[in-house]
Amino acid sequence: MRRPPEQADIAIALHGITKRFPGVVANSDVDLTIRRGTVHAIVGENGAGKSTLMKILYGMLKPDEGTITVDGRTATFGSPAAAIAAGIGMVHQHFMLADNLSVLENVVLGGEPRQRGGLDFRAARARIEQISATYGLQVEPDRLVEELGVGERQRVEICKVLYRGARILILDEPTAVLVPQEVDELFGNLRDLKAEGLTILFISHKLDEVLAVADEITVIRRGSTVASVTPHEVTAPQLAELMVGSALPVPELRESTVTDRPVLEVSDLAVTDPDGRHVLSAISFTIHAGEVLGIAGVEGNGQAELVDALMGVRPISSGTVALSGHDITRSSTRSRREAGMAYIPEDRHRQGLLLEASIWENRVLGHQTVAPSARGLLLNRRAARADTQRIVREYDVRTPGIDVVASALSGGNQQKLIVGREMTGRSVALIAAHPTRGVDVGAQAAIWEHMRAARRAGLAVLLVSADLEELIGMSDSLAVILRGRLVARFDPKTVKPEQLGSAMTGAGASAGAGGAV
Amino acid sequence: MSATGTAVCAGTVLRARRQRISPLGYTGIGLAVLAAVSAVRVATGASDLTSSGTVGAALAAAVPIALAGLGGLWSERAGVVNIGLEGQMVLGTLGAGWAGYQYGPWAGVLMGLLLGALGGLVHAVATVTFGVDHIISGVAVNLVAPGLGLFLAKLVFRNAPGGGQKQSPPVRDVRHLTAPYLTSWLGSLERRQWFLVSDLAAVLRGLTFQISTLTIVAVLLLVATFVVLWWTPFGLRLRSCGEAPYAAESLGVNVRRYKYAAVIVSGAMAGLGGAFLAVSSGQFRDGQTGGRGFIGLASMIFGNWRPGGLAMGAGLFGYTDAMQLRGSDAVHALLLLLGIALLVLTVIQARAGRVVLAAVAGVLGAAFVLWFAATDEVPPELVGATPYVVTLLVLALASQRLRMPKADGQIYRKGDGG
Repeated sequence: MRRPPEQADIAIALHGITKRFPGVVANSDVDLTIRRGTVHAIVGENGAGKSTLMKILYGMLKPDEGTITVDGRTATFGSPAAAIAAGIGMVHQHFMLADNLSVLENVVLGGEPRQRGGLDFRAARARIEQISATYGLQVEPDRLVEELGVGERQRVEICKVLYRGARILILDEPTAVLVPQEVDELFGNLRDLKAEGLTILFISHKLDEVLAVADEITVIRRGSTVASVTPHEVTAPQLAELMVGSALPVPELRESTVTDRPVLEVSDLAVTDPDGRHVLSAISFTIHAGEVLGIAGVEGNGQAELVDALMGVRPISSGTVALSGHDITRSSTRSRREAGMAYIPEDRHRQGLLLEASIWENRVLGHQTVAPSARGLLLNRRAARADTQRIVREYDVRTPGIDVVASALSGGNQQKLIVGREMTGRSVALIAAHPTRGVDVGAQAAIWEHMRAARRAGLAVLLVSADLEELIGMSDSLAVILRGRLVARFDPKTVKPEQLGSAMTGAGASAGAGGAV
Repeated sequence: MSATGTAVCAGTVLRARRQRISPLGYTGIGLAVLAAVSAVRVATGASDLTSSGTVGAALAAAVPIALAGLGGLWSERAGVVNIGLEGQMVLGTLGAGWAGYQYGPWAGVLMGLLLGALGGLVHAVATVTFGVDHIISGVAVNLVAPGLGLFLAKLVFRNAPGGGQKQSPPVRDVRHLTAPYLTSWLGSLERRQWFLVSDLAAVLRGLTFQISTLTIVAVLLLVATFVVLWWTPFGLRLRSCGEAPYAAESLGVNVRRYKYAAVIVSGAMAGLGGAFLAVSSGQFRDGQTGGRGFIGLASMIFGNWRPGGLAMGAGLFGYTDAMQLRGSDAVHALLLLLGIALLVLTVIQARAGRVVLAAVAGVLGAAFVLWFAATDEVPPELVGATPYVVTLLVLALASQRLRMPKADGQIYRKGDGG
């Protein structure tokens, strides 16, 4: 193990931090020592308690037990303001920016320079430009935040933190929303910050990134720190084992099951939003039975609209959609579902479940007109409940019973319930939008296995995901969506994440295995 | 998700972004509008269309609307929908009547402002502290305030000299100011009935002759609101509570405190609007507000949550309201004016590619022109509805792509974000 750090070297030390929520212990007895001027990564799978720990450090939550020491002084943070005053800044996973305010306004908010009672715009602008130049952030103070891309927004967040004089930066899953090129830029920024003597806490579960950028790594599992290592001591598989207690599941398809029978045929699909903007145009693809088509793209490029259009939730302005040879362009969502379209929505809380309804009632959702859920005009409670029992059993939904409300289940179990509900015998096509987002590794492995089973059973699968590893591993072919158009196709066997990243951002020609369509 | 969702639309947003109109441009547009009105005046002979009396009356009618709209602006910029403006206005009329007849008009104004602020405080407690749905709380304020007003009126006004069950004793008006020399010169210009020149003189005279000091206060408040909300740290924090309260919270902004401040100021503005009504009409009367709180809210929304926009909306309403008071002749001429305005809108919307809107505006515009041509007067039953119809039509068809504060109307609970 590494040498024990000198007292003066330590930026932050956490001792015996414990935090309980009703029914769960989010952190128990966490010990963490972070040396000044390093990039310190905290890794752990979803739900391991990383975010809770960071919220404690940032004063958003109070620990039940334990002490926090910052720069050698014991600190108790009652609010983020106290943490900011102690030189700690946080870049949240979901950006904390007001879209309709300018970059300048977002940065200075809460710590505005004043001049005669008013906001001193000139001083603020000068300060931001100076920070931007020092750390290479390329932030333009007078632009509206809503005009900025994801990478730029993140740099605004970093600028915000630096503006407040932070010497310790917490970055919560900063790469989750970035494409590979933007990740490289971010890492460049982080190295600049480190060179200026700042300390960085980098939270992630992407191990290759952690190994690339961190000086030290602390692993959290089930709320406790289980190991502290340096990148030189471990390999990614070893780190994964530390993280989950077993080997990480790998997204991969085995033998090809692709047939030549087209199931889902989309031609020249176009969708216009209420403002008259084209959110999708000239979308054409065919998915055959037993084939998985992966859709890669930076979020907000029309993926959600494509899924909505296929499910009949959003009106189509032109083009056709056919399912098993029948035109369903004008069909209602219900008739599409009855014809065998299965759907895993991207937001299970908003679109997938009634959180306050019981599990068996959620089983009925979307199948309320067909057996076994219904008999004539009435619901068949007994058969629906029996079938829910089957889903709970076969899909390993961990629940005390089928009468508990859906919100009582963990994210992974909710998602398994949805997958089980959608995989009925009638399904011929599956639209899966971000099927493993925010679930633990166990559920992730199970969902991937169910998708493989669906593919084996001859379903045509459309997989939309932001996780490039999942896309490359689970798809038979890949298409890239950019500004509402399919701009490139790749063979997942040969494509590299960087190539996908280039195509996703539209940077340069998408040279390589696939090339433009 | 939400953070990234908008990212890619960046290019489109850039293109769609409205062009800034320079002050000179606004002057030009204003003159063009005046020229059109002047042409209609010459054509129809309805001299009331631009008389200084009309303009003065329009200004007086616009002030309570604008004050209610300012109230809405303060509150909604901080993320609280305040449809209780109407009720807070009623409280303002009551306060002005009660204190006004005893201690003079300015005491009445102050009391109206305070009672309005109290109504705002009630709304703030319900929505910010207890997380009650903003609409429900607002409706409650609107229901309770007139009832309370009537009850208190019976209690305190019935036995007062000149008071009654539904009205207060007379209240003196505040002082009215006239620009010296200027108005008589403008008046002589106005009487010449020259195209455009006389109209311009009439407008200027209307804006400088016998202006209530309260009107001047209202205009100053409009400017002050803009300065405070957009140029000060306080205003930035307040607006951030309406756009992204959890982001503000994460930066140490006490969101609740700013929301409280905003909603209380909102109520005070509405109360001031009510006080203006009571003081300028000489007494408190039951039902005096006549929906002006709602109109103010609407003009604020169509004004895109900005002070300039709401002032324009209020001005339009005030103008048509004044017209309606001037008699059916003026209202008849107004038909032609409205028809022309709608036809101009048709062209603007058609050029922007909004076909449906252009068609609706075109059909309505043609209908109004035909109506004008085919009749000699507007049925008296419809005259009273004119201001509402005109304001709604013009604003609804003209304002598109409105952008409300992002977290407007959402219930904020401390610590729920991220």
